[in-house]
Formats: sequence, C-alpha cells, structure tokens
Amino acid sequence: MRLTARIALIVGVIVAASTLPAVGQQGPIRIGASLSLTGSYAKLGGNQHEGYKLCERDLNAKGGLLGRKVEFVVYDDQSAPPTAVRLYEKLITEDRVDGVMGPYSSPVTEAAANVTEKYKKVMVSPLAATTSIFRKGRKYLFMVISPAEGYLEGLVDIAAKRGLKTVAVVNEDTLFSKAAAAGAVELAKKRGLQVVYQEAYPKGNTDFSALLTKVKSLNPDVIAAATYFDDAVALTRQMKELNVNPRMYGVTVGGDLPEFYETLKQNAEYIYGATQWEPSLPYPGQKEFLDAYKKEFGHEPSYHSAAGYAGCVVYAEGVKRAGSLDSDKVRETLLKLETRTMFGDYKVDGDGFQLAHKMALFQWQDGKKHTVWPDELASAKTRFPTPSWTQR
Amino acid sequence: MRPRTAFRVGLVLLVAALAAYPAVGTGYGVRAMLQIFMWVALAASWNLISGLTGYVSFGHVAFFGAGAYTGAILITSAGWSWPAAALAGGLGACVVALVIGYPCLRLKGPYFAIAMLGLNEVLRALVSYFEGLTGGGNGISLPTLEATVPVYYAMGVAAAAVTLLAYLVITSRFGLRLMTIREDEVAAEAMGIDTARHKLYAFLLSAAGPGIVGALAARDQGYIEPISVFPLATTITMIVMVLFGGKGTVWGPVLGAVVLFVSQELVWARFPYLHQLLFGSIIVAVVLLMPRGVLGLLQQKYHLPRTI
Repeated sequence: MRLTARIALIVGVIVAASTLPAVGQQGPIRIGASLSLTGSYAKLGGNQHEGYKLCERDLNAKGGLLGRKVEFVVYDDQSAPPTAVRLYEKLITEDRVDGVMGPYSSPVTEAAANVTEKYKKVMVSPLAATTSIFRKGRKYLFMVISPAEGYLEGLVDIAAKRGLKTVAVVNEDTLFSKAAAAGAVELAKKRGLQVVYQEAYPKGNTDFSALLTKVKSLNPDVIAAATYFDDAVALTRQMKELNVNPRMYGVTVGGDLPEFYETLKQNAEYIYGATQWEPSLPYPGQKEFLDAYKKEFGHEPSYHSAAGYAGCVVYAEGVKRAGSLDSDKVRETLLKLETRTMFGDYKVDGDGFQLAHKMALFQWQDGKKHTVWPDELASAKTRFPTPSWTQR
Repeated sequence: MRPRTAFRVGLVLLVAALAAYPAVGTGYGVRAMLQIFMWVALAASWNLISGLTGYVSFGHVAFFGAGAYTGAILITSAGWSWPAAALAGGLGACVVALVIGYPCLRLKGPYFAIAMLGLNEVLRALVSYFEGLTGGGNGISLPTLEATVPVYYAMGVAAAAVTLLAYLVITSRFGLRLMTIREDEVAAEAMGIDTARHKLYAFLLSAAGPGIVGALAARDQGYIEPISVFPLATTITMIVMVLFGGKGTVWGPVLGAVVLFVSQELVWARFPYLHQLLFGSIIVAVVLLMPRGVLGLLQQKYHLPRTI
C-alpha cells in the first residue's frame, strides 16, 4: 500500500513539476542533497528528508529566497559513502544545482565533503557530529549539531555538582560512540571525577554480563554509556538482572525514543539520556514547527527532522544575508552568523565547527522525558539519587 | 574488412575515445565512467574463478576491502604514492587469497560459497579489531588530494588489464583445464589435471584485480570504514553482472558491468524508493529467461566463437 502510495506520489510530483510554469524570470533556486532513504540509516535519513521538505515548503510560503522559489533535488545514497560521493558530483556538475545540503551521518558526510570542497560549494551538514570531519582544513563545510564529545557533558556536570566521585564509561565501537565516550572521559577528568573503568563492545553486542560484572565489582557512582537504541535497552535490562545500581546512569542515543520507555516500562525511570533537541525545549518557532510537522507527515519529529529543518533554515539565512548564492559570500556570512532557531543556537568558529548549540540532558520521570540540564532549559528537577531496582 | 579486423579497429577507437573523455566530460561523467571501469575489473575478476571453474565466490568483496585497507594504510602511515599503494593493494589481496584459497578450494559446491561468505565477515571483524593499524570503527581518512582524472586512467588500465588477462586465460590450455574442472572435477582429475593447483592459480588471478581497484577506490573516495568496503551487496552486484553478460566469456562481464551500471544509475536518479525493486526484477528476469547471459545466448544462436 505504502509503496503504491509512494509511486503515485512520485509520478504525481513528476507530472506536476513538468507542467508547472517557471516562477519568476530566473526559475527556482535548486538545492541538492543525497540522503539515506534506503539502507541501514533509512529511518533517520528519512526523518532528515522530511525536515528538508518542510523547510522547502515554509521558505516558499514566505516568498522563497532572493525572490525565487526554492526546490530540493534529493537522491538516495543507500547509506553508502561511495554512492554519496558520486551523487554530489552529479548534483554539482550535471544538475548544476545552486546549493547543496548535507547527507545523513558522519561517515557519509566525511566522504561527500571531499566533493563539495573540490567545487567550493558551501555545505551545511546538519547531521554530522564527529569533530574530526571539521578539523581537516575544509573551508566550505558547516556544522549544526553539537559534537559527539559533548553528549555526556550534562551527566558529568550533574554528577560533579552532586559530589559524586567515580564513573565507569562504556561504548559501542563505532565512529560516533567512540568519540562520545572519549569526550565523557575527558570531561570527567576535568571535573575531578575518577574514571574507574572504560570498555568498548562491538556493534550488535547483546551480552553485557561480563562487562557488568566487572563494573559491579568496582561499584562506580555513575555509569555513562555511549549507545544506540538496541544496546541501550539490553544494557539496562542486564543491569537490573545483575543488580548493578549506580547513583546515576545515562545513555547517549536511543534513550530518547518513545520505544525505549515502552520496552523497559518502569525500569526506564530515573535513566538520563542525552539529546540534541527535544520538542519541549523553549526555542523560538518551536510550536509552529511541531504543528506543521505533525500536520504534514502525521507523526512526531525526531531530532534528525529538527536538525534537517534547522540546517536548511541556517543555509537560507546565510543566502538571504549575503544577498547572493555565491559560495564565498555565503561562506563569509555563515562564519559570522549568530542565530537562534527552533533547534537552538547557531554559531561556528573559523572551521565551520559548531560552538553555540547546546546538548540537553533529560531524565525519564513518570513515563515522560523531563529536561534536567542545562539549568536554563530545565523543565524539572533531577530525581536523585536513583533508588534500587525494586523501588522504581 | 573481415569481422576480426573490424572488431580490432573498433576496440582501438573505443580506447582512444575513453582516453580523451576526461578532457570533455563533466566531473560526474568522469566519476561515473571511473565506476564503470571499477565494475568491469571486479566482474571480470569474479568471472576468472567462478565463471571458469564453477567455484562460486560469495565473498569476493573481501579482496576489494583488503586492497582498500592495504592501500589506505600505506598512503596514510607510510606516505606511499597512490599508484604504488594500488599495486601493493593487489598484492595484499593475493596474500589473503593464498592463505584462504589453499584450504578453502578443497571444499566443494555450497561449502566453498559459505566459506567465502565467512571470509568477508572475518576480515571486517579483524579490521575493526586492529584499531591501531586500521582505525577500527573510525575508519581511515586519506589526505585530501584531487586525483579523479589520474585515478580514472589507472582504473581504466586496471579494467583493460583484467579483460586482457581473461582473454589470455580463456584462450589458453590453462583456461581449458579450468573449464574442465567446472564441467566435471573428478573427470578432470582422472585426466591428470592437478585441480588443486589450477584452482589456486585461478583464485590468485581473480584476487589481484579487486585488490588493485579497491586501493584506487579508497584513494578516490578519500574515506573508508569497515562497513563501506566490505558490503555483501558488492559481491552480489559482481555476480549479477557476470550472469547477465555471460559467465565464462571474455566480454560478458564487460557487457554486464556497463549495461547494469548504466541502467542502475539512470533508474535510481529518477526513482529513489524504487531502484532496488527494479534492480531485483532485472536479476530475476535474467536468471529465468537467459541463464547463460546475453553473450551465451548470442553464441548459441549465431555460432559465435567460444573465446568471445
């Protein structure tokens, strides 16, 4: 059914696009992107795509950019960096798009950025969080979300303020999770906490008993886990079975999904999770974004949707203020730009590396996510310390 | 002009046209053509072992990945130039083939296919594990270097070399012995063919090409990670290209690589959600309607030479 609907939609769009008269004398501004619409990142890349689509619609509703309509040209890179490289080459040299937006994920961005850099195209890359990508002397690449290293800052900060002493850090062995864990260790040391244990487990791991037995014998005050969804759930379950009960326990990715609470029920209570963005954060335009998104796509946005939307808004702002699509002019503007969207703050350093956007930390309280850090965004107080597993 | 002469003149013209292409083509055109060369080399290499001996390798992308990592490590850590690193990538893949082929080629039928499938997974796990050398899950980022056009020529030479190799093998006694193994291994052995040694030689020849193009692809993309250079999908694509063109022929893999790559490229640009479905349908249609591939069909119909 869904496929048929999509076919119908695509055919409809093609027919509609070919019959529409060109708006303005110059035709639309075309922005190209390759996204992971199929393959292992399909779900997250799809959300980002919806963010771009909503942004396209909103820009056109406000009269477009530089008086021209905006039109996204999107291809599917099948979650594969080599395909993305080819598609960006196609977008730039064959389709001759006016601008480009970033793909999904750090590995794909790392590969695609070589192409955009070659043609000196500004690329705002809303879903690449790995610092090293932005520290290779690339001139035209811009970051929107907070770097991986900062994901667990809130957890460490609260622990330090509460006078906790020891922390154990565990992570999945992939580009992003490794960076998040390394960041947590660094921050913990800086705040005077002792890192008593650090261990990586392979992607797809389901048995954490050996790791947790070791952690239990060391009895740390805090467990910081750089996870995705499946491992976050398995780790939590096995902590309960083995009665590993730190005073604080936080995860990076996966803890923010509604499925996390639905799967773990009351065992998810008191767990902290890092997030780039929450619908409840009091940023300007948040309500309008949420309403429009739900109306357009029939479900709640994830932070990937929000980051995609915000990245597109930032690029559009850069073009608007530069008054031109010229890469060097837009680059200058984006380097100087300081703005606040419904996704949070934007300000980059000379490398295009994000400085202003803030991570948030939430805690599951009575089945709801309450933002508990940073203080100026907090919607509730932390429930501290975490009681024993039987009392949740 | 006799057909043979006409064919040779055509071939020379084609090579000349391809050599001149980067001067007139767009960046995307050059990169797409480079990919076609890569697929020609990969499909023709797979054909050397699986098309000729009938030993279906389900893990041929392992040699591509081994070459990519060998090349990338030599470029980043040892400061090698990329053409030298590419040759070393081919050598690295051959070493893997030697170590694996010696025991595994004694396995028959599906057992060999499964062993090769395992090889790919094992290599991926090893690459993730030896973090100091390979960067583990972080992958390897190569120094930025704009070398698409030189890599285009290198890739073209690799594709031509593997095709030439296939021609030499298929027209030789060695090739005939390999095909004898494919038709009946026991009979081949009874005729005095040292099957183990012949299979191993064919296996080594089939590993060198993917190793070299793996290293070239790594240089061209500038970033590799375990997941992106060991995908099972690459092996499947190689197999489908050979089956489409005609297995055991010289030009079949070339034809399959060109036709399928071009159609896939045209299709997915238009229909982001549908291309896999269409690609799958092509596979099913080929296997059902012409199991011997396009060239196999033409050979039968027009009595073309076996060595086409």
